[in-house]
Amino acid sequence: MSVFPQPRTSSIGPILDVDREASCLEIEGLSLAYGDKPALRGLALRVPRHRVTAFIGPSGCGKSTLLRALNRLHDLNEEVRHEGRILLEGQDIHAPEVAVAELRRRVGMVFQVPNPFPMSIYDNVAFGLRLLGGMRRRQMDDVVEWALTSAALWHEVKDRLRASAWSLSGGQQQRLVIARTLAVRPEVLLLDEPASALDPISTLKIEELIRNLKSQLTLVLVTHNMQQAARVSDYTAFLQEGELVEYGPTDDLFTNPRLRRTENYITGRMA
Amino acid sequence: MMPRVLPRRRWGEGPWPWLAAGSVALSLLALGALLLLLAGRGLGHFWPAPVALVELENGHRLAGEAVKEEPPGEEASGTRGRERLYRTANRDLDAGSWTWVALEAIADVSHPSELVVLERRRWGDFIGRLVAVERDGRALGEGASAWPVLQARLDALQALRDEQARLRRESILPLAARLAAGPDAEASRELALANARRRALQAEADRDRLVLESVDGRRLEQPLAEVVRAWRPNAMSPLEKLAAWGQGVWRFLSEGPRAANTAGGVWPAIFGTVLMVLLMSVLVTPFGVLAAVYLNEVAHQGRLTRLVRIAVRNLAGVPSIVYGVFGLGVFVHGIGGSLDGWFFEEALPSPTFGTGGLLWASLTLALLTLPVVIVATEEGLARIPDHQREGALALGATRLEMLARVVLPMAAPAMLTGVILAVARAAGEVAPLMLVGVAKLAPQVPVDGDFPFLHLDRKFMHLGYHIFDTAFHGGDVQAALPLVYATALLLVLVILVLNLTAIFLRHHLKVRHGALPRV
Amino acid sequence: MSDPSPSLHLRQRLRRGRDRLATALITAGGIGVVAALLAIGVFLVVEVLPLFWPAPADTGADVSWQALWLPQSYEGYDAPQHRWQPTVTSAEERPQYGMTPLVWGTLKAAAWALVIAVPLALGAAIHSALFMSRRLRSRIKPTLELMEALPGVVIGFIAGLVLAPWVERHLAGALAMVVLLPPGVLIAGWGWTRLPAPLRRGLPLGWAGLWLIPWLLVLVTAALALAPWLEAGWFGGDLRGWLETRLGLEYASRNAVIVGLAMGFAVMPSIYALAEDALSGVPASLAEGAQALGATRWQTLWQVMLPAASPGVFSAVMIGAGRAVGETMIVLMASGNAALMTLSPFDGMRSMAASIAIELPEAALGGTHYRLLLLAALALFVFTFLVNTLAEVVRVRLRRRYRRLGGAP
Repeated sequence: MSVFPQPRTSSIGPILDVDREASCLEIEGLSLAYGDKPALRGLALRVPRHRVTAFIGPSGCGKSTLLRALNRLHDLNEEVRHEGRILLEGQDIHAPEVAVAELRRRVGMVFQVPNPFPMSIYDNVAFGLRLLGGMRRRQMDDVVEWALTSAALWHEVKDRLRASAWSLSGGQQQRLVIARTLAVRPEVLLLDEPASALDPISTLKIEELIRNLKSQLTLVLVTHNMQQAARVSDYTAFLQEGELVEYGPTDDLFTNPRLRRTENYITGRMA
Repeated sequence: MMPRVLPRRRWGEGPWPWLAAGSVALSLLALGALLLLLAGRGLGHFWPAPVALVELENGHRLAGEAVKEEPPGEEASGTRGRERLYRTANRDLDAGSWTWVALEAIADVSHPSELVVLERRRWGDFIGRLVAVERDGRALGEGASAWPVLQARLDALQALRDEQARLRRESILPLAARLAAGPDAEASRELALANARRRALQAEADRDRLVLESVDGRRLEQPLAEVVRAWRPNAMSPLEKLAAWGQGVWRFLSEGPRAANTAGGVWPAIFGTVLMVLLMSVLVTPFGVLAAVYLNEVAHQGRLTRLVRIAVRNLAGVPSIVYGVFGLGVFVHGIGGSLDGWFFEEALPSPTFGTGGLLWASLTLALLTLPVVIVATEEGLARIPDHQREGALALGATRLEMLARVVLPMAAPAMLTGVILAVARAAGEVAPLMLVGVAKLAPQVPVDGDFPFLHLDRKFMHLGYHIFDTAFHGGDVQAALPLVYATALLLVLVILVLNLTAIFLRHHLKVRHGALPRV
Repeated sequence: MSDPSPSLHLRQRLRRGRDRLATALITAGGIGVVAALLAIGVFLVVEVLPLFWPAPADTGADVSWQALWLPQSYEGYDAPQHRWQPTVTSAEERPQYGMTPLVWGTLKAAAWALVIAVPLALGAAIHSALFMSRRLRSRIKPTLELMEALPGVVIGFIAGLVLAPWVERHLAGALAMVVLLPPGVLIAGWGWTRLPAPLRRGLPLGWAGLWLIPWLLVLVTAALALAPWLEAGWFGGDLRGWLETRLGLEYASRNAVIVGLAMGFAVMPSIYALAEDALSGVPASLAEGAQALGATRWQTLWQVMLPAASPGVFSAVMIGAGRAVGETMIVLMASGNAALMTLSPFDGMRSMAASIAIELPEAALGGTHYRLLLLAALALFVFTFLVNTLAEVVRVRLRRRYRRLGGAP
């Protein structure tokens, strides 16, 4: 099966180059292990600001692990050991003065399975705002509307904000989760295969949303769907067995991979 | 060497599945029989039983309610055929209230409508005829007119009793309390007045007397003041009987026990059980949830936690009596003894907290049911998908906020299920209570108007123990039996309702989590 | 967005502080609760130890380990005896502390309970896991769960005051029932195969648990009706007398069989629930494989499902045994509480749990009697804890095995 993704039509724009971009996240020599099983080995990578960066690779290559490391979700698992640094706007996210809750507010995350809380649509979006506190009712209404609009969900739910979030369809739930994350105004949005559990139409909506959001924030997308990576991302990193194999502008990587391993993977000739 | 004809299956699945099916049927039958027995005997007791007038071959007559028929016991093996047990009451006339009659010896059985049954404060019930109602030795009604007069006098008597109770509650007790606080001339004067008034009321009540006659012709004078109720079961219509049945059930639920627990109601036991169980749930819920949250959400999920989890699970299987022993040794003698030494020294050597009581019983049962709550809550917590937790954390929630706003609300039905199961278990436990504070008869309920209102050191009555005690340590077991049945029915009903609620909740929980988005 | 106002900053620190405090509290509370639970064992050991350590002077009658378990010679008896008579009425009597009768009584009661409960529970589990219609099963399981919740005091009351006198009076009838019920059920099964097909469809095997009940009632009535004939024909008209003269068995009204019946009834639902879980958890692929080869469901059960589920069934029986050993009220009310050591099923017994319940409130705090009762409690604790742990470990292994076999999650 030859799956050469078609280059995006819009790619005839400014020539992309990681080194010329202002970076939002910098990963320096990151190694990470679950117990004694290494998952990431000496990764170095710069994620440019206001761009969509995709991580691709075979399952088990560490792309989700890397994503979760970016907002310290691994803190929950005591077995995880890590080395190296992750800088968010120049600051080490593991520095003692960084509050993990504040970090996670700044680096939002959307998961594979839509996970709205068992409460109303409004309460879901307002969840993060209420954690921050100090917001008036009117103000909160505005933010909820803005977040839902940004997530392209407002028109579908504006008449039933008090309905249970679980009454929404899967695609709507995922957009609700995105809205919920946007409401706390994160600087980075991490997306862990956000569309893999959804039908094709919902997938398209999510992809469109991702493209629209990059004017506001930096997006990092993990996907096992190479077409999706090619469709939405500006930069793509290919990971294999916990190592960064190749990283560059998406069009270059897909049309003109520098390494044989990358080419094998994107053409589907994996051993 | 293929056999040409495979053996034909004549039995379908063979005989054994039928034995398996039979064991299901037998279990259900046993359960059904038990419940029916409890319901029938427990509720039937309150139905006014017809009173039979039995004439024997030898000319004797007796009146009573037929209780049961059986082949003769060993001591009466001379007679053949079956015997019938009558509750003939009249303990003051006959020295006993039960009579076995051989069916062969019965010449005639009738149910004359004029036979009355009186429930009395002394000597148990009376069964016989009402001859006259007298007031100060003067007949108010005789023969046929005596019954309506008796009804009227009983109503009047009830009014007198209410008045006396009110006087005692509103005047005498507060005045006595004032006097106990210090000498108070005015109070003692008022108390004397109130007491005089009460004596007058008593004298008024004592003026009425009944002339009764047993069916074999012996006369009896009965002060009306000792009569609680009177009814003529043979003259009652089914509707009246139904009303009487309802009143009987209500009295059973709302009154205290009388006649060494063989008559009256079980209100103090209901109250004690409920209060103890409430206290227990208040104690067990926070600690159980805390431990479950710790084990499931906070603790390092290593080998030690797994071991602790298995141990906690197994503690649910440790016999309740062992918890009772622990309660007695640690709570009553250990902590209670020390408390007495520190705070209640003036009362020693009679113990305050150093003996079984409400607090210790609740604590012991809380410990006993702790594993139930922990296990149920943990199951609920484990059923919450991790991505819900991650979703909250990814929005910048701290662990406390994640637990309080997302995880615990989702686990609430599971916790509730656990607490209800704990309550159901605690309500039925008797063995540990025998060690840490239940009482055969506690005239004072542990809640009253005296500071501190809830008396944690008092002993209390308990439905389960009431069953055990009345059935096995009572004097007249035959008389107490119907009440034991009714008490057992009540206890079983309470526990069934609690368990059904838990089952319903658990089902509801499954349905809700089944609706979790699985796209 | 990045420069939070001072009040927001303060709020952040407050949230972090609250979180730390809560985590600390939960940890402390959780560890405390677990420790309190585990303290039960520690308490019992600490209280029992002085019995065997150099005894303090005030415990008067020292007891040695041998004196507890070996027969002792007592005044008035020729041979050494096991006796439990901890309370004395006069000063010259010596309290007798032989624990063996109590252990014997406990095990005897539990054994009879299991004799009744295990066949019933396993039969019911097999039927509901293999044969019962799904709809009926979803009703029966909660019903039997409710049965498990029946308080021991109620079952004990029924056993001691209703069942025991009734069986005593209708001994032959009870015997006839035991003899008649299993073949009667088999006859029902045989008759069923002879029924015309439409009727058979109306009475499917899947619902046999329900429609056999009326048949059982018929059988019970028949047994009671036949009992006098049986008694007259084989037992010389008096089964009790026959038991006494021929077998030398004295019939006590409250005896091991009554206790076994009552406690079997109480223990049966928990064995049933666990065994049913084990059986219905066997991966469907296994059973289907056997049935595809033409095995009947019963053959499948014996050859495939029971071997696969045997650890689960074993742990179910263990848990039942644990419950039976520790059950207090039923034994207390239905056993007669005489500390006898006989094999006869028609004698009463006294169990450790019942002894604790009766004697501990009266035992002098810290005395030998008190500590011996605590020793009994410790024995119960250790026994049930070990049995349950064993059962739990077996169950966890089983679940892992099922998962490997690719069955139900």
